[in-house]
Amino acid sequence: MGLGVTTFQTLKLAAIPSLHSASSIFRPVSKALTLFSLSRRPFPLIVRALSAQALPIATPDDKVVKPSWKAAIDFKWIRENEGVVAANIKNRNSNANLELVLKLYGRMLDVQKEVERLRAERNVVANKMKGKVEPSERQKLIEEGKNLKEGLITLEEDLLKLTDELQQEAQCIPNMTHPDVPIGAEDCSTIRKMVGNPREFGFPIRDHLQLGKELDLFDFDAAAKVSGSKFYYLKNEAVMLELGLINWTLSEVMKRGFIPLATPEIVRSSVVEKCGFQPRAANTQVYSIEGGDQCLIGTAEIPVGGIHMDSILPESSLPLKYVAFSHCFRTEAGAAGTATRGLYRVHQFSKLEMFILCRPEESDSYHEELIGIEEDLFSSLGLHYKWGFTVPFYVDSLICLAGGSLSSNDYFGILGRTLDMASGDLGAPAYRKFDVEAWMPGLGRYGEISSASNCTDFQSRRLGIRYRPESTTTPKKGKGNAAPTQFVHTLNATACAVPRMIVCLLENYQQEDGSVIIPEPLRPFMGGLQVIKYKFK
Amino acid sequence: MNDFLVVKPSWKAAIDFKWIIENEGVVAANIKNRNSNANLELVLKLYERMLDVQKEVERFRAERNVVANNMKGKVEPSERQKLIEEGKNLKEGLITLEEDLLKLTDELQQEAQCIPNLTHPDVPIGGEDCSTIRKMVGSPREFGFPIKDHLQLGKELDLFDFDAAAEVSGSKFYYLKNEAVMLELGLINWTLSEVMKRGFIPLATPEIVRSSVVEKCGFQPRAANTQVYSIEGGDQCLIGTAEIPVGGIHMDSILPESSLPLKYVAFSHCFRTEAGAAGTATRGLYRVHQFSKLEMFILCRPEESDSYHEELIGIEEDLFSSLGLHYNTLDMASGDLGAPAYRKFDVEAWMPGLGRYGEISSASNCTDFQSRRLGIRYRPESTTTPKKGKGSSAPTQFVHTLNATACAVPRMIVCLLENYQQEDGSVIIPEPLRPFMGGLQVIKYKFK
Repeated sequence: MGLGVTTFQTLKLAAIPSLHSASSIFRPVSKALTLFSLSRRPFPLIVRALSAQALPIATPDDKVVKPSWKAAIDFKWIRENEGVVAANIKNRNSNANLELVLKLYGRMLDVQKEVERLRAERNVVANKMKGKVEPSERQKLIEEGKNLKEGLITLEEDLLKLTDELQQEAQCIPNMTHPDVPIGAEDCSTIRKMVGNPREFGFPIRDHLQLGKELDLFDFDAAAKVSGSKFYYLKNEAVMLELGLINWTLSEVMKRGFIPLATPEIVRSSVVEKCGFQPRAANTQVYSIEGGDQCLIGTAEIPVGGIHMDSILPESSLPLKYVAFSHCFRTEAGAAGTATRGLYRVHQFSKLEMFILCRPEESDSYHEELIGIEEDLFSSLGLHYKWGFTVPFYVDSLICLAGGSLSSNDYFGILGRTLDMASGDLGAPAYRKFDVEAWMPGLGRYGEISSASNCTDFQSRRLGIRYRPESTTTPKKGKGNAAPTQFVHTLNATACAVPRMIVCLLENYQQEDGSVIIPEPLRPFMGGLQVIKYKFK
Repeated sequence: MNDFLVVKPSWKAAIDFKWIIENEGVVAANIKNRNSNANLELVLKLYERMLDVQKEVERFRAERNVVANNMKGKVEPSERQKLIEEGKNLKEGLITLEEDLLKLTDELQQEAQCIPNLTHPDVPIGGEDCSTIRKMVGSPREFGFPIKDHLQLGKELDLFDFDAAAEVSGSKFYYLKNEAVMLELGLINWTLSEVMKRGFIPLATPEIVRSSVVEKCGFQPRAANTQVYSIEGGDQCLIGTAEIPVGGIHMDSILPESSLPLKYVAFSHCFRTEAGAAGTATRGLYRVHQFSKLEMFILCRPEESDSYHEELIGIEEDLFSSLGLHYNTLDMASGDLGAPAYRKFDVEAWMPGLGRYGEISSASNCTDFQSRRLGIRYRPESTTTPKKGKGSSAPTQFVHTLNATACAVPRMIVCLLENYQQEDGSVIIPEPLRPFMGGLQVIKYKFK
């Protein structure tokens, strides 16, 4: 049973500016759409949604595995700021072993000195042998040289082992934390902003699974047989809704100067690690491919982070702003219970991810820009009408213009909030993390729909992404004039996680008769479809 | 794939052995024409043995019943002892026979599953050079300037990045950038709306499936040089085509006849190892490990599959004509069909940058090959008024399944870039796609 051909119009992308001018368009974040912002205060969280973001937890091993790559860790800085680093590790509930790191670092420096000393002595001996030397003296020198050489080999082996062990331990140290981040576990996260209106339903509401069943939008049962639990087929209008969300979100974010990308979904496991995830940990979120070192990505953050791996970018190219589309795969190992029913927690989903590479001094402001974009997108879908005056008539005429059949009594929106995540709930890479949660009436609680992290230089030190600052004096051609390179800062933010959005939209926009209104901004991207109607079978 | 090692299959295809025996000559000729290494002789031999052992088993069971009955009445003690002995011997003999029967059945199944589908009488016999052209549409464009291939166009227009992808993922991976992303979305949106207009139900499918489902569709995830990626730690695979998860939707089901035909158009990413593929024919977007594809899939009654095959190839030809492509439709030769296909039409489009035709789609009629493995049946409506009670419904039949590419995005991108390039290095967007790309008309050369 297909969709009615007569009601179907071509799917369209709204006209978007050509990409040449896109980079010069920077639409200021509109404040008009936000209703009211609560200053940060501790808020007893209603059952907090499980984060969609993988939470890498450091699990130092007693066994030293030779890392296939090295993070450019600033050991000197760690040693000079030992107290701050230790407090941070504690606040983040990390099991990094700072004491061991400092001990190993000290030993490594000592062994390094020893190596240099032995090398110097060896040079002395080698030099002595060049001149005129008595045979007995020569023999002594040869002996000495040989001993030094053997000692050197042993020391250099030790140095290598120490460096590997140091690297392995030090990589567990989480990123530093923004001073404004609330300290504590997830219940300490604070609310930065509330948006939208809670809708009052005058009828018993359905959850997205029931709506999906009645509207023939998903099939979990067939997917369980074909693939396993937490897999699903989207059908009929749900497919159009997914495409509508992707097309609309992409065009909105491109308008703000982000370069669109479609990324590989299979990557080398080393790239996954460099972004701060742990493909080999027990209960890992990461699927591995048999027969090699490849993994499936859990987020486009990974392949996008990898694009500029081991590069030095000219300062003029920053900031680099990408919006990347990909399917994402997560094992969801260890997640169980009713919080994982239906589309809320699945093994595979579509996602649009924003990613910024910038200069260090700008990452805080780009973090604000990213969360602003997320809040804008969400507000646009939230259809709130609080302009400080009675609007029913305006709403009515708006709806008439759109050719719809909504009654002005159906005045509703989506309630949402932005959280400043507490120190114990940040992943290892994030310096600061904002989560957006939407009220999901069918679930009866808030559910995370997006997440924006400022990873400062945590990922770039692992991925090897630097930039060369422009010299302030006229650069003279020749050696030694270029300014030393710096590590960029990286940020990532969800523009649209499709299944969560589908849950959100279905549950918030349901009607008493079981149909679902399509939010107005999506309609041009869904062939003008206004309502997902209950199908009489 | 014949192996001396008998692996206990985790599922059984519903193979019609009787039919095979009755049509041994046809089946043998077909195996030869298809260049298959199925061993028909062995299958027939195993089948005979299996029937014999089955008869033996029944005989033993009958004798055991006789002995059991004899023991019920009044029996002399010495006679009783003899009967008990006899019963014990029969029981042991039976156990051995039943074990043999199981092993035989597994081996028979394994060998028989290698037998390819039969072939449509109009299919040309021979290797791939024997495929014939059914239709030719358009002609190669004449360029008045030196043309570029899609890789060069992509580089100059900043549309792909293969180098970064090689670092991050490996060769034959890529990022799409800028207008190429819009082109992918435009192709998907337009194709989906065109196919939905023709009554196909849209689907988005899982891309991780159980390996048994892959096998049931006629692929071989465990073969050397397999096209199929496997996931570590279990029996899951990545799909190479949405044909697989769609085929699996109605696994082990009996559909009412009134629900047929079922027509789906499914969107998915596809993953292929491309093991064994090398050379210049694999540069750029032409042969990649991951790509987006819209796939049409039909389940229908057997007598209708030929006409739905024509419908599917007709839709594909409409789509490509709308985009202004020059292409040929081929009727694939018997040696170039996969095991499941009864008949296969491939569309090859002219790719000027490559300097040859490249496959952009494929439409297969798999008749009951997949449905016998997936267990998809339908119940024909009874012609007489059904009486409630036992024995009134008609016996179930296997459906026929067909699959056809609506749009394989990277091949289409190669096609469009190379055919629509301009002298200044820009690329015109075909008119039907423009509304789905925000009205974009040209991918312009970017001056940097």
